[in-house]
Amino acid sequence: MAIVQVRNLKKYFQVHKKEPGLVGSIKSIFSRKYETVRAVDNVSFALEEGELVGFIGPNGAGKTTTLKCLSGLLYPTSGQISVLNHTPSERQTKFLKQISLIMGQKNQLWWDLPPIETFLLNKEIYEVPDEQYQRTLNELVKLLEVEEILKIQVRKLSLGQRMKCELIAALIHNPRVLFLDEPTIGLDVVMQKKMRDFIKEYNQRYQATIILTSHYMGDVKELCKKVLIIDKGKLVFDGLLSEITRRFADSKIISIILAKEVDPKILEAFGAIKEFSYPKVTFSVKRGEVSKTTAKILELLPVADLNIEEPAIEDIIRDLFIGKDYA
Amino acid sequence: MRILSETYSSVKTMRKYLTLAKLTFEEYFVYRLNFLLWRFRSFISFLTLLFFWLAIYGNKSGFLGYQKSQMLTYVVGIAFLRGIVLGSRSVDLAGQVRSGELSKVILAPLKIFQFWFTRDLVDKSLNLIFTLVEIALIISLLKFPFYLPKNWETYFCFVVFVLLSMFLYFFLSFVLSLSAFWTEDVWAARWLFGIIFLEFFAGAFFPIDVLPKTLAGIINLTPFPYLVFFPLKIWLEQITAGAALKAMVICGLWLLFFYWLAKFLWQKGIKNYGAYGG
Repeated sequence: MAIVQVRNLKKYFQVHKKEPGLVGSIKSIFSRKYETVRAVDNVSFALEEGELVGFIGPNGAGKTTTLKCLSGLLYPTSGQISVLNHTPSERQTKFLKQISLIMGQKNQLWWDLPPIETFLLNKEIYEVPDEQYQRTLNELVKLLEVEEILKIQVRKLSLGQRMKCELIAALIHNPRVLFLDEPTIGLDVVMQKKMRDFIKEYNQRYQATIILTSHYMGDVKELCKKVLIIDKGKLVFDGLLSEITRRFADSKIISIILAKEVDPKILEAFGAIKEFSYPKVTFSVKRGEVSKTTAKILELLPVADLNIEEPAIEDIIRDLFIGKDYA
Repeated sequence: MRILSETYSSVKTMRKYLTLAKLTFEEYFVYRLNFLLWRFRSFISFLTLLFFWLAIYGNKSGFLGYQKSQMLTYVVGIAFLRGIVLGSRSVDLAGQVRSGELSKVILAPLKIFQFWFTRDLVDKSLNLIFTLVEIALIISLLKFPFYLPKNWETYFCFVVFVLLSMFLYFFLSFVLSLSAFWTEDVWAARWLFGIIFLEFFAGAFFPIDVLPKTLAGIINLTPFPYLVFFPLKIWLEQITAGAALKAMVICGLWLLFFYWLAKFLWQKGIKNYGAYGG
C-alpha cells in the first residue's frame, strides 16, 4: 500500500502581470491582465513507506508547489492526493501530527526566542509525551551537534545553525512523512555533508518516508535511489537514479591522455569533442559506436591513457532541461 | 472512561495554548522598550483626552448631558477598554498571510482562532496591568471624582458586556486581517478602520450621544459603539436595564455575525492562499 499517492495533480495559479514602472502600476488599477501559471500539470506518482526520494528540477519547475500540495498547505486545482490515507488539504489533526514540511528558506522557529522554546512549544502542540520528547531531542541534538546553541536567540544564529534547529523543531514529533524543500540551500560543503548524513540516518532509523527537493545533484546522488524529475510542471521521469543514465544518455564519454601533441582537426574525425586541453581530450560518442571508435583511437592516435565513462548525471539532467520541450 | 479521556485531551489542549501564551509573553520581554514606548504613547493620548475635557468643563459641573465626574470617568473608561478590548496581536495575521509565514500555523495541529486569541489575551493582560497602574496614578494625582456604580448588577453587566466586546473586536479585527488573502492594501483598510470607524464610531474620543441624534442613531447601527460606548454607558448607569439588555443582545448578534464571517472568509481565504516564499 503506497503511503503517498498522487493522481493527476494539477495546481494552477492566476497571476496578474504588471508592466514595469509607475505607469504600469496605474494601468494595473484599471485593467489587470491575468495569466494562468501551470505550476504543476498532471503529475502522478506513488511512494512506499520508508522510501527516500529525490525530487529534482530547475527553478520554478513546480517542486515546491507539489510539496505544498502534499503537505496540505495548498489546495490542488484538480487531481487526488492521498498521504497516509488522508487528504492533505483537509488538514486533519491526525494527519498533521504525522507529517512535517521543512523549507530551507522559511523558518518556523520563533525568531526572537532561543530554539529550545520552539521545541518546547512544538512538544505541546504535537502532544509529545515528556519521555519521548527528551529522548528524541537528545538524539537529534547529538546527531546535529547543537548543544551549545539551544539557548541563543534564533536571530543571532548562523544560517547553518538555524537550519539544524529548524530540522529538530520539525522532527520533535517523529513524523512518518517528511517533506524537505532545499534543506541544504545556502550551507557550506561541510554542513551539506552533515545534513545529508543526518537525513539518511533519520530515514533509516525511523523508516520515515522522505521527499527531498534540491538544486544540488550531490544531495540527490548521495541520498536517493529513486528520483522524480519535474520540469515546467510536468513529471518527466519517475524511477531509479541509475535508470536515468540508461534512458536519457544516448552517448558515453571517452577521455584520453595524449602522449604527444596532435592537430585538433585530426581529433574531430573521431567524434564530438567535449573538451580539449592538451594532453586531455574528451569525446562524446554514441553508445553503439563506442567500441569501434575506441579501436580507431588506439590505432591512430598516440594514446597514453584511455577511459570510457557514463556521462555525469548532472550533465544528463542539464541536457534534459535545456534540450527538450515536454509539453 | 470517556469523560476521563476527554478531560485528559482538554488538559493537553490547555497546555498547548498555555505554552503559546508563555512564549508570547517572552517575546514582549525581548522587546521591552518597544512595549514601554507603546504604553507611553497610550498614556499620553489618555492624558491629552483627559486635559481636553477638563478644560472644556472648567468650572461647569455639567455639559452635553454629562456631569463632570461622569465625563472624566468615561475618559478613564476609554483608556481601560483600549487596553482590554482594543488591544490585539491578531493584526499581525495580515502580515503573515502576505509573507507566507502563516504556513507554519496552518500546518501545525492548532486552531487558528485559538492561536490568535491566545496571543491577543497576552497582549490584553499586559496592557491591562499597565493601564490599571496608570489609571490609579492619574486618579490619585489629579484627585478628580471617579464615578463608581451604585448597584452590584451594574458591575456584573459591565463584565459580561466587556467580554462580549472583546470577542466582537477579535472577530472584527480578524475579518479585516483576512482581507490580506485578496488584497495587498490591508494597511489602508486598517487605517480607515482603526482611525475613522473604530476610534470615532466606537466612542473612543467622546461619548456618541453628545452627537446630533440622527448621527448617533446611524452610528448605533454599526457594530462599533458596542466596543467602548455601550459598556461605559452601563458603567455610568446612564441607560435603563432594558436598554442595557437590548445593547447586549445586539452586541451578541454582531458577535455571531462576525464570528461566522471570520470563519467563512478563513475557509475561503485559505483556498486562495498562495503560501508564497520558499
